[in-house]
Amino acid sequence: MGYLEGFAITWRKFARGFVGDDIVTTEYSAGTRSGRHDEKRPKPERFHGRHVLNRYEDGMEKCIGCELCAGVCPARCIYVRGRDNDPADPTSPGERYGYVYEINYLRCIHCDLCVEACPTEAITESKLFEFSFTSREDAIYTKDELVVGDDGRPKRLPWEDWRVGDDEFTSGWVRATAPQGSAAYENRVAWSGELGYGVRAPEAGQASESATVVPGSHGHGHDHAHDGGHH
Amino acid sequence: MSDIETPVTVRITVDGQPVDARPGELVIDAAERAGVYIPRFCYHPRMKPVGMCRMCLVEIDAGRGAALQPSCMIPVSPDMTVVTDSERTRKAQEGVLEFLLINHPLDCPVCDKGGECPLQDQTVAYGPGESRFVEEKRHYEKPIPISGLVQLDRERCILCDRCTRFAKDVAGDPLIHFQGRGSSTEVNTFPDEPFSSYFSGNTVQICPVGALTASSYRFRARPWDLEETSSTCRTCSVGCSVTVQSSRNEVLRQNGVDNDAVNWGWLCDRGRFDMESGRSDVRLTDPLVGGTTARWSDALGAAVAAIRATIEAHGPSSVALLGGARLTNEAAYAWARLAKGVIGTDDVDCQLGDGLPADLVLGLPRATIADACTPKGTIVLVGPDVKEELPVLYLRLRHAVVEDGATLVELGHGRTGLSRYAARTSYAHPGGDLVERARLVAKDLDESGPITVVFGRTSLAEDPAVLAEVAAIFLAKGARFLPALRRGNVFGALDAGLAPGLLPGRRLLDDAGPATAVWGSTPAAIGRDATAILTAAAAGEVKVLLLVGADPVADGPDRALAETALERATVIAVDTFLTESGTRADVVLPAAGPSEVDGTVTNLEGRVQRVNRKVTPPGTARPDWMIAVELADRLGVEFPQDPDALLAELGAVADGYADVASALDRNPDGVLVTGACPLPATPTARRAPAPSGSTLRLVLTDSLYDAATQTAQSPSLAPLAPGTVARLNPADASALRVEAGTVVSLASARGAVDLPVVVDDGVPAGAVAVAANQPDCQVNRLLDATWPVTDVRLEVRR
Ligand code: SF4
Ligand code: SF4
Ligand code: SF4
Ligand code: SF4
Ligand code: FES
Repeated sequence: MGYLEGFAITWRKFARGFVGDDIVTTEYSAGTRSGRHDEKRPKPERFHGRHVLNRYEDGMEKCIGCELCAGVCPARCIYVRGRDNDPADPTSPGERYGYVYEINYLRCIHCDLCVEACPTEAITESKLFEFSFTSREDAIYTKDELVVGDDGRPKRLPWEDWRVGDDEFTSGWVRATAPQGSAAYENRVAWSGELGYGVRAPEAGQASESATVVPGSHGHGHDHAHDGGHH
Repeated sequence: MSDIETPVTVRITVDGQPVDARPGELVIDAAERAGVYIPRFCYHPRMKPVGMCRMCLVEIDAGRGAALQPSCMIPVSPDMTVVTDSERTRKAQEGVLEFLLINHPLDCPVCDKGGECPLQDQTVAYGPGESRFVEEKRHYEKPIPISGLVQLDRERCILCDRCTRFAKDVAGDPLIHFQGRGSSTEVNTFPDEPFSSYFSGNTVQICPVGALTASSYRFRARPWDLEETSSTCRTCSVGCSVTVQSSRNEVLRQNGVDNDAVNWGWLCDRGRFDMESGRSDVRLTDPLVGGTTARWSDALGAAVAAIRATIEAHGPSSVALLGGARLTNEAAYAWARLAKGVIGTDDVDCQLGDGLPADLVLGLPRATIADACTPKGTIVLVGPDVKEELPVLYLRLRHAVVEDGATLVELGHGRTGLSRYAARTSYAHPGGDLVERARLVAKDLDESGPITVVFGRTSLAEDPAVLAEVAAIFLAKGARFLPALRRGNVFGALDAGLAPGLLPGRRLLDDAGPATAVWGSTPAAIGRDATAILTAAAAGEVKVLLLVGADPVADGPDRALAETALERATVIAVDTFLTESGTRADVVLPAAGPSEVDGTVTNLEGRVQRVNRKVTPPGTARPDWMIAVELADRLGVEFPQDPDALLAELGAVADGYADVASALDRNPDGVLVTGACPLPATPTARRAPAPSGSTLRLVLTDSLYDAATQTAQSPSLAPLAPGTVARLNPADASALRVEAGTVVSLASARGAVDLPVVVDDGVPAGAVAVAANQPDCQVNRLLDATWPVTDVRLEVRR
């Protein structure tokens, strides 16, 4: 009769849902009772939403078309192709840029492994997840949709429901580890500068010794600064 | 690398395990065979070890105590003890890697080698994890093109000496070298002299880092999005083993695979890079009838209607088939059965008048490449420039002469790529004394070792019957023959019976054997060869001409004849591209290319190997075998319906091909088909007229990069075609008062072309050597395929 114990847990939780404060499910909106049902509840700082492709402060794209994100993606939903930069009018610093970049949102599970894999902090995630489509084509985001606009902010596409805060910290900040992955870099700012934001201040909880560290701060005109793995 | 078990072994101990090594074997190889992989960068099993990188340091005790020694330099000795996992070894490996990485830029994310890089892999497996190097790394200009095909990124080079050793020792083209000293040592070419080796792609494949990359593959994919299949190169008849790699239904790269019998892992650049043509935008994707796009059923209907009406009105020998050397064995067999068993014509030829008589090729005792390369043996080269036409065979022959003490004797009409390795060269005047010279050469041959004649056309402008006489001379010496015909699967096509007077399995028509029973009937009389077919078509006797992967207008020796023939006959062309001949065809059927079909091919030794499909053909293009099966079906005969079944039927009618499929499963390196047809009586060559003082004899040769469709449609290779020049002996040049660069007109009784002169003492006096089928010049306008030789008058253009 052991299985009845399982049912007992279910019933106990169900009953307490009406009386106690044992509710674990969060309401989607800011609160029906308070009448703020049209507002979104604030999301956690490292929430995984739809991706953006970031640019450096000078406007160059960070993506170098290395396909590491595509290689690591467990859902196999990223398609990247690299190409030679035009030396006269480069798209990204260095030799190579992401010529094709597509994410199929019918398959993405927002695991952020792509973000972890990216050597240049090019791909990160916003907090937006309220977007829907009516065709498969629309579900495949290309560079047109993913690359941030000239203000450094994600493009607000008509079928997406952007609210205040959804594009906060859509940069290296959403990564779970320091870019170097090494404990020695703990408490040091190492994000690369970003269009519209510059170099971000140290993350909360970290000491502010940003000036001391070279890795990640990027210098113009130095060919190797962004080539990935430059730390 | 051969697996022949030698009874004598040397007992050594590797990591505590007893290992039986072969005498003279290197420790690194013996350990690997025993399952212990020692990391390495510079060692390559097909090249002499140099001990450059020190990555293979292990503790070796040969009786005087254990010491760290490079295992790629030390041969095994009895009771040797090798330790590959000790603390000391580990420290040495970490040290070597830390040292190698000092100057390595670590730009793996943009590097084409990233993901399949021995430096990455071994750093992860054996490296220290941290570097103590904080200073600025060495910087060079990012990739510099060292040839049209290869880019060099000197920052990434770890100075392993693999590319430079390959260029010097394997290819014999020492065009890249180490330069400078210490930490500014770099690999580079001489200024203004590109790395224009026919084998440069191999350096990209063997470079253990991304210092050498191929322009053709640059940034196109990463190893993790490639899928691959093993296959065989079909560009020439050497049949090198390859692995075909594709992504998103496009073949992106082809790499060599070590086949001990054939290519030893090497490829030539033409075979490596002409896969680019497969993804060309101008591939044929739909059938054409009368020049406009048609549905398959209409196009096949039109073809069958023309064939049927012609057979009814004029008999089967008013239909002829040219080509087939591009096909797989299965497709060649289907087309052979279609022509000979269904239509009933024997006017079938897979060579275009630029090859050798089929019964001669199939009748001579065949040698393998290994036979030809027997140490201390004798190689007689009577034929084309092997370096230009069968490049990897050139590598093997060169190795035999340079490393294994084989003797090379060359007989022909001028210097070739192998001449500098020849112990004796004898250059005849075309149409002159080749037979006489062959007798002299044969008289002095060392008969203690095997004699192999590499045997092909010495000039396309000369009657090949001369070569039958030459063959008879060496046959009397007990020589074996390695036929040097270049077209991809010409030997498979010959074995399948795509030649006049032949049936599948190297059988003559009058000894039909099982084919009669399987096919129902075989042609009544021996048919015409390519030249006779085109002549008959030009005279209106052949009314329907099937061109299966053949372009007699551009790629045949006699352009005028082919043009007239194609004008008069109804032409049905099956091809991957719209060739010059295809534009003149009434019905064009689009065919699947290499890497788009499954099947087998047969190389110049008679070795059958598999080709495998990796991508789907463009548009509605179909495999050649399927087109033959469909045509047969419409003519009322049901053929086997897939490549396996066709191969099985080929096995039933051709002795050598019985059970070939199961033999291939057991031995993926290939299965040798032996057996020969009865040797034809030696014909007497038509004697050439004595040369007149005012004309030069034309020597027509082939070069690696020509206007052949696949090469010309490969963007990396097309610019490499050298163009057409008239090469003259210095004596003739001064007598005619022309110098290098002078534009002259060469005129035969047939036509004239304008060419710049190159003075070349490798050309015999009284001759002018010209490369055939170059994109810039239609040299085949000068020839009449019925002439025993071609005499041209040279005039300076003012
Ligand atoms: S978040 Fe995960 S599933 Fe989505 S694209 Fe990135 S790696 Fe793929
Ligand atoms: S990992 Fe980063 S740089 Fe590489 S392709 Fe993906 S987004 Fe671009
Ligand atoms: S270029 Fe590559 S193969 Fe050549 S020496 Fe450098 S690392 Fe070795
Ligand atoms: S030698 Fe011939 S078979 Fe080998 S790679 Fe070159 S073209 Fe292909
Ligand atoms: S592999 Fe032995 S020294 Fe390089």
